Amino acid sequence: MKTKQDFPSINERTPDGIKPDGTPYRVLVVDDSMFVAKQIGQILTSEGYEVVATAGDGEQGVEKYKELFPNIDLVTMDITMPKMDGITALEHIMNFDKNAKVIMISALGKQDLVKKSLLLGAKNYIVKPLDRKKVLERINQVLTKS
Amino acid sequence: MDTNTATVEQERAAPQGRVNTIDYKMVTFSLAGKDYGVDIMNVKEIAKAGRFTFVPNAAPYLRGVYNLRGDIIPVVDLRVFFHLPAEKKSDEALENMLILRLGEHVFGVVVDNIDKVVGIQSSSIQPPHPIFGDINIKYIHGVVENQNRLYIILDVVRIFAQKEEEKPRILSETPSGSYYAPVTGPISVPLTDSVIEARDEGGGTDLDFIKQTLFALKRFAATPLNEAWVNRRFEEWKKIQKSSDLQLKNIEDADQYLETFYSPYSGNFWGEDFIQAILQTLPDTASRTIQVWNPGCGKGFETFSFACVLRKRYRDAQIKIWANDSDLLAISQAPNMVFQLDDVPEYFREFLVKGRNGYTFNSTIKDSILFEYHDILNSNPFPELDIILARDILSFLPPVDQNRIISDFSEKLKGKGLVILGKNEQIVEEGWTSLGKDPVSAYTRKE
Amino acid sequence: MRVEYINPFVEAAFNILKEVLNTEVRRGELYLKSTTMPVLGVAALVGLAGDVEGRVLFDMSKSTALAVASTMNGEQLTTMDELAKATITELANMITAQAVTKLHDLGFKFDLTPPALFTGDNMEVSDHEVEALIVPMEVPEGRIEINVAIRERA
Repeated sequence: MKTKQDFPSINERTPDGIKPDGTPYRVLVVDDSMFVAKQIGQILTSEGYEVVATAGDGEQGVEKYKELFPNIDLVTMDITMPKMDGITALEHIMNFDKNAKVIMISALGKQDLVKKSLLLGAKNYIVKPLDRKKVLERINQVLTKS
Repeated sequence: MDTNTATVEQERAAPQGRVNTIDYKMVTFSLAGKDYGVDIMNVKEIAKAGRFTFVPNAAPYLRGVYNLRGDIIPVVDLRVFFHLPAEKKSDEALENMLILRLGEHVFGVVVDNIDKVVGIQSSSIQPPHPIFGDINIKYIHGVVENQNRLYIILDVVRIFAQKEEEKPRILSETPSGSYYAPVTGPISVPLTDSVIEARDEGGGTDLDFIKQTLFALKRFAATPLNEAWVNRRFEEWKKIQKSSDLQLKNIEDADQYLETFYSPYSGNFWGEDFIQAILQTLPDTASRTIQVWNPGCGKGFETFSFACVLRKRYRDAQIKIWANDSDLLAISQAPNMVFQLDDVPEYFREFLVKGRNGYTFNSTIKDSILFEYHDILNSNPFPELDIILARDILSFLPPVDQNRIISDFSEKLKGKGLVILGKNEQIVEEGWTSLGKDPVSAYTRKE
Repeated sequence: MRVEYINPFVEAAFNILKEVLNTEVRRGELYLKSTTMPVLGVAALVGLAGDVEGRVLFDMSKSTALAVASTMNGEQLTTMDELAKATITELANMITAQAVTKLHDLGFKFDLTPPALFTGDNMEVSDHEVEALIVPMEVPEGRIEINVAIRERA
């Protein structure tokens, strides 16, 4: 006789943050604001993602990526940061790893910034204020598209 | 003593042109159905306002604080202060408020209704009698009857002395023991000073009081700048009013008095006649750029008119106009004004382009103008100017500021630069040469 | 201040406050203030560069700052700690950035610098020869004054 355990419950669904193999996607959050990093972190962890590191400026972000490579599945990148801005950091990361998956998250929504980021290789661009649903949708899109 | 009859008799006795016996003016208002008055010298302005920021743990008559263009002032509800019944207004409704200035302090005072400015003889003010005892007698300066109404004149200095920690210096310091608060602060200086002098000499004149009312109600400051017009107008006014009271009792009267002051085509596109007059005043110049400052541009009709005139006159030069006004509502529509062709005089049509909703000025004209929300009384960071177009703005600035701004003009003008004022404004200071012919009032700096 | 710049700031302030605080927002009357201005207790400053130079200052009392930060974090904050400060600067950043984005669409090219936060009593912010536009915003958490001083580059 089959018990409940043998059938996957239709009410349970695997959180988006968990890969098919059962381990969480590993995310690097780059933002100079403690508040934003916390906000993104909360959104990600609520859906099963793992925030493996945060960086407070573009320079640190690039360093961390190189350090943890190839164990970063996704980077969220702010644009307005001291020392090195997000666009420059994006460029460095893409040069280092052409398969890097970087999503820009910024309060600025200027068309030219969006275009520039996408041309440089960013996979998506989210404008703050952050809407939990939208953020999760976009991240999921980027990670599951092959 | 029947004040009313005495006044009428005196009026009949005094031949026209003699100094009038009115030597005290008050702004009148009502509280719980009774009429009150406050010396106009204490009244800074009149406002209608709502939503005062509530201040917790304050006395019940303190309605809160109000943001009067950046200054936070306390707002007192006189009805509560005097324990009078007050009608409940809804949160959204605007209250009637007198803004009082006593020395350095500014207060807002909420009343039921603000009525008008009334002029009386100070000798007819009677001391308060306990029978007028709705409110504590110590706050009443006196009572007076005027045109069948009884006004209770409040001693606002004493009322507001309560609020200060320090002793009320004001009363004790006044010379001649008079009640009137002395003039302090940079803004009210020359105008009110001259009125006080006149009073001390045994009577202000009708004209002095008209000037004072113009300033209180319309912010029009009568100074040497517009003196010629003010005097001419006064003579006309006497004829218009004939034998009845010459005083300006309300805003409508003030507006009527000022009717003939304004420059031609104010708030409108310029007509050919004025354009020709302006062209005659504009000098020849080989300058590559013409830099213009246009304060008080209002909705922008004057600015666009001038931009087109300059464009036609100085074909090869780059025109740059800084147009500003402190009336946000007026100027905010200026950059994007849309017109129907018929509303634009022939002269300007070559500069229009057709859009979806009507016509706008072409980009050459639009790009030559920078419209800014700006208060001329703040620092004016403009580069060296060829022309300053300031029609009918100086007269609406306090006297001390008028002089300061004229100096500012002098500093900012290039050597042969031109200042164009309103039709009835004249620079009387040393150092300026008059160039224009009526209706253009133009000046350059004397070398 | 250039007339075209005004609406973008007013709209951005209104939109962002409404969204992040999830509440009704009321705008007070706009007015101009000249150079030196006292500060209410907490001030977030964002610099502007590009076609213009200047800055946007977000001015509020300490209690308002705490209330706003608490709402934005979904928890009650009792002191202006690092998190509260970061929250207020992020609010300033979002409002300024949205205004800059709108201005960009209108053809005005500005950039903004990372924000800074100042706290203290009796602070005065002094600007050399620039007047400021004040946009007062009222939310349940308190009053926030947005103070914009922009000068065209000659």
